[in-house]
Amino acid sequence: MMISRHAQENLASVLLLAFFAGVIWMCQDFGPRARMIPQPLAIFGIVLTLIQMAWHNFGSPAELRMDMISVQAPDIPVAEAQAAPEKKSSWRREAAAYGMIGVLLALTFITGVLPAAFLFTAGYFMVTRYCSWQRSLIYAAVLTASLYLLFVAALQMQPYHGLLAPLFQ
Amino acid sequence: MIEAIIAGLTALLTPQALLFMLIGVVYGLVIGILPGLGGVVAMALLLPFTYGFETAATLALLLGAHIATIWGDSVTSILFSVPGSAKGLALCFDGYPMTQQGQAKRALAASATGALLGGIIGAVFLALCIPLIRPVILALGPSEYLMMALWGLTVIATFSEGSLMKGLTASVLGVLVAFIGMDVVTATPRFTFGSEFLMEGISFPVAMIGLFAVSEMMKLAIKGTPIVDRSLVKEESTVWQGVRDGFSHWWLVVRSSLLGLWIGVLPGVGASVAGLAAYAQAVQTSKTPERFGKGAVEGVIAPDATMGANEGGGLMPTLAFGIPGGESMAILLVAFIGLGVVPGPDMLTKNLDLVFSMVWIIVIANIAVTVIGLGITPWLARLPSLQANLMVPIVLGVCFVGAYATRGYIEDVVVAAVFGILGYLMDKYRYSRANFVIGMVLAVMIERNLHISLTLYGRDFLLERPIALAMLLFVLFTAALPFVRNWRRKRKQAAAAGVAP
Repeated sequence: MMISRHAQENLASVLLLAFFAGVIWMCQDFGPRARMIPQPLAIFGIVLTLIQMAWHNFGSPAELRMDMISVQAPDIPVAEAQAAPEKKSSWRREAAAYGMIGVLLALTFITGVLPAAFLFTAGYFMVTRYCSWQRSLIYAAVLTASLYLLFVAALQMQPYHGLLAPLFQ
Repeated sequence: MIEAIIAGLTALLTPQALLFMLIGVVYGLVIGILPGLGGVVAMALLLPFTYGFETAATLALLLGAHIATIWGDSVTSILFSVPGSAKGLALCFDGYPMTQQGQAKRALAASATGALLGGIIGAVFLALCIPLIRPVILALGPSEYLMMALWGLTVIATFSEGSLMKGLTASVLGVLVAFIGMDVVTATPRFTFGSEFLMEGISFPVAMIGLFAVSEMMKLAIKGTPIVDRSLVKEESTVWQGVRDGFSHWWLVVRSSLLGLWIGVLPGVGASVAGLAAYAQAVQTSKTPERFGKGAVEGVIAPDATMGANEGGGLMPTLAFGIPGGESMAILLVAFIGLGVVPGPDMLTKNLDLVFSMVWIIVIANIAVTVIGLGITPWLARLPSLQANLMVPIVLGVCFVGAYATRGYIEDVVVAAVFGILGYLMDKYRYSRANFVIGMVLAVMIERNLHISLTLYGRDFLLERPIALAMLLFVLFTAALPFVRNWRRKRKQAAAAGVAP
């Protein structure tokens, strides 16, 4: 079931409220000096979020805009923007992006940082059909070798070997 | 003094020193481009290789590498909106939109030229100001540093993307996240949930990797097209355009360089703050602030000029008092100890030639970085047009290895992933990631200096410190300025709409 953008915004605000409330609750365990800044700041956060929610639901969003600068969305000419192929970021694509991060994280924990980079890169190329499986393996091997040379050989990083490492020792 | 200037240069004109500088510069560029690794890491990793060589050659290696990381950081910020380290954050705001508009070459060249000019101005002022700056530094205390950090936070008002409330909420979130870990003032573990890993706090570079690099790759994977689709947006700019921009905005470069020099002089205020402050002053002093954030070349030149000059400024307290101006200068102090050089007043009398060697290193290394940078810019500018399916796994692989390499903790990879998802969600719901990072950068500085001020001067510390009070008034003025400008602009627009038929 798809949730409307309006509801998603409200959900984000509720999560923020819960976060700030959690901070205030945790601050009760700290001494007066340790909570001197976090506690009032969390209260300020709650006030800001409530104002945002109120305006979002009952007021005009334009009233909260300042627009001194916008850090995104450069001005691409309208004709070009219209010419761009419509690729809506559906929830499936979004879920796939979360899954991609999850898979890389899991691989890192299981196999270690460098083998994970190899497996993930080769797998990604194959799944997206960017190139043939032979080329995928070659590209992934080149990337992994470069990472090894840079981080392990040159920068003397001690690589993490993963949860499977004891099996091979 | 003239003899010292010449002796400083002569010491650098040995084959060993020149070779070391070249190695340092190339190495620094590579490290700068890697996510999560900045000048501090570059210098720290070189330390073991610095013993047993000429003093000038050793310093050329260390400082050359450090200076090269500045532009290296800028490269990924401009091309991919992925800051190599905290310093490069301000470059994302206008550099990345320039890349998206097919002006990557111009942005990279303007960035390199800005850094070069800033570096030279910083070095010259370092040479001139060493005897003058001592009383100024000694006049400032924790209350004044607190005001400077608050001024940094007022920058947030400038970085509003849409809803001001969301922008402020993001900065509050950033400040709170920075409090995770052991509170050094009260020795209280805060928000650690009993985790030993969290006691050390959230690593700043790792958070940056997640917030910007990982989240951008998620966006790219969802979008499925390259950052710059060359069939829609052609690369139309040239390297020389960027070089010309750097020189034609000479007054912005001078202003930004002086700001960078000043921030560098202040102990404990890093280059990350300098870049953001430079961007803010560029926006606030511009006659057309509405162009910023949409690909204004001034938004690229100002932070780079500031960060270039920041190095010269950072050397001042390091050399004159043995107080490091920032983390990288602390590493330089360690190198001094290894070389048998004692920082302090003697540096300005007995070792003046060494001081001028460093001034020359900054100048020559900056020139070398710019020459190499301008040479490789045409190739670098092609990177954003690579297929998304090629970019995503490679950048994510580098990011996760980089996150782990930052401190050697596997938990940092989880932090990068969590911040990646957080960054994606913040971007989706328009909670400014920039504000979040500014909050993180300034949180510790604000808290530490507030505690020290209260301990030293009591609750009425502002009345005890007139300089701090004056600075507070300045902070209030600069905080109000964007609001007043915005209000005036809207009033003008309303008036124009009323006049128009």
